[in-house]
Amino acid sequence: MKGVTAAVVLAALVLWPSAALARDPFSDDGRPVSPEPERDPDPAPLIAPPPGIYYVTETYVADVVTSSGPVTTYATTTVHESTGTYARALDTVGTGASSVFDGSAFNGRRALGDGRAVAGTYYENYVLSAGGFVPVSVVFFQDDAEIARLLRATPAPPPQMTPPSTPAATTRSFVPACCAAERPVATTAPSRTPTPAKLIRPGLSLLPASAPLASLEVLRGRAVSIYPRAFVEGREVPVRSWAVIAGDTGEALTTAGAGSVPFRTWWRRLAPPDAAYEVAFRIEVDTPETGPRWVDATMAVVVRSPALED
Amino acid sequence: MVLTLVIAPLLLVALAGVLQLGALRVAVARVRAAADLATLVAVNDQDDAELSRSGSLRLSADAAEVAREYFARELELSSSLLDGGADAIAAAADVFAYPSAPAYDTRTGARYERPTVRIAAQVPVRTPVFGALVLRPVTTIEVLSVSSPR
Repeated sequence: MKGVTAAVVLAALVLWPSAALARDPFSDDGRPVSPEPERDPDPAPLIAPPPGIYYVTETYVADVVTSSGPVTTYATTTVHESTGTYARALDTVGTGASSVFDGSAFNGRRALGDGRAVAGTYYENYVLSAGGFVPVSVVFFQDDAEIARLLRATPAPPPQMTPPSTPAATTRSFVPACCAAERPVATTAPSRTPTPAKLIRPGLSLLPASAPLASLEVLRGRAVSIYPRAFVEGREVPVRSWAVIAGDTGEALTTAGAGSVPFRTWWRRLAPPDAAYEVAFRIEVDTPETGPRWVDATMAVVVRSPALED
Repeated sequence: MVLTLVIAPLLLVALAGVLQLGALRVAVARVRAAADLATLVAVNDQDDAELSRSGSLRLSADAAEVAREYFARELELSSSLLDGGADAIAAAADVFAYPSAPAYDTRTGARYERPTVRIAAQVPVRTPVFGALVLRPVTTIEVLSVSSPR
């Protein structure tokens, strides 16, 4: 009888459970909160550029004038790279049209054989600083062509100046300046046809007259002077100015200078293993035979430090 | 009393030996530091003309002499520990500079991937307590230091 009673009591306890009226010692702690992953501060907060300003992915290299038969083309070469700058189109000008930005571009604006200014587009370059987008330079991308008349049948009428263009003008890819009925024919004698731009070979050397170098090994903390140089058809031509446009410049005092002044620096830090500092220079050459031109040169700098072997 | 008289000399001998061992370890550390510093200084002695010509690091022609000179200078600071003149020890050291790489060390068989300066020297150090204990009064330390720009 006692066994049956005990079994019934046990079954009742098992079948009718109820919550224990006890104090929950953790009830005041609230819901467990999963730790929020700590986020690193944004090293470069995104600042949206103003309308019209865009990030540069095609960088100006040089003005190029090429002749193919009677056609002389004025173009601009670019390289697909980003130097961290921004740009905005200022003005698109036609052949012979004047612009309020004439004379402001660092690379100038060429003239056709008849003296009229070439067509193209002015761009203004910006750098993003703490204070926002700061304009640094204006560049002119020429885009024009002309046909030299091989036989001088009639003397060309004086060039007709067109009114200044508006910034919203359309861009042209090829403008034959000779064929418009209402415009004067741009005739140039074959001898006046601009010759093709001569190839400028840039160079970087440690001495004013030493061999150009593509790579350089330097000891950490050792000061070096790098001379930007330029060569046309194997002859050295004077460099007007230079500027470092990319790369780790180390402890350089200045990253731009005149052609006679070398780039002086030294590196405090070593590059990562099996890596080098790629330093890119933009060299300006302005001689009668080349005109104002810009060429880029790069040097791979490997910084080493004396170390004990095991 | 008798036990003290018996044990005391043994304790003194053991203590002296321990002190001499400590002094020897200090001497070894200073000699190695002298060799290391000398090779590091020598590696800094670069051929500027070659650097201008090729852009590559190459040891100067007098790198070995520079290493030997600085080895002597550094040993001179520990002259009280040495059994001989610092200049003589440095002059007898096997100092070799490998101006360009790769190069093979005929003494050690090592291959150097960079211009390297190597010092291999035998430095005699005074150990008077060991001498009093029927051991050698002069202990020779063999030191090898290799440095290159990396």
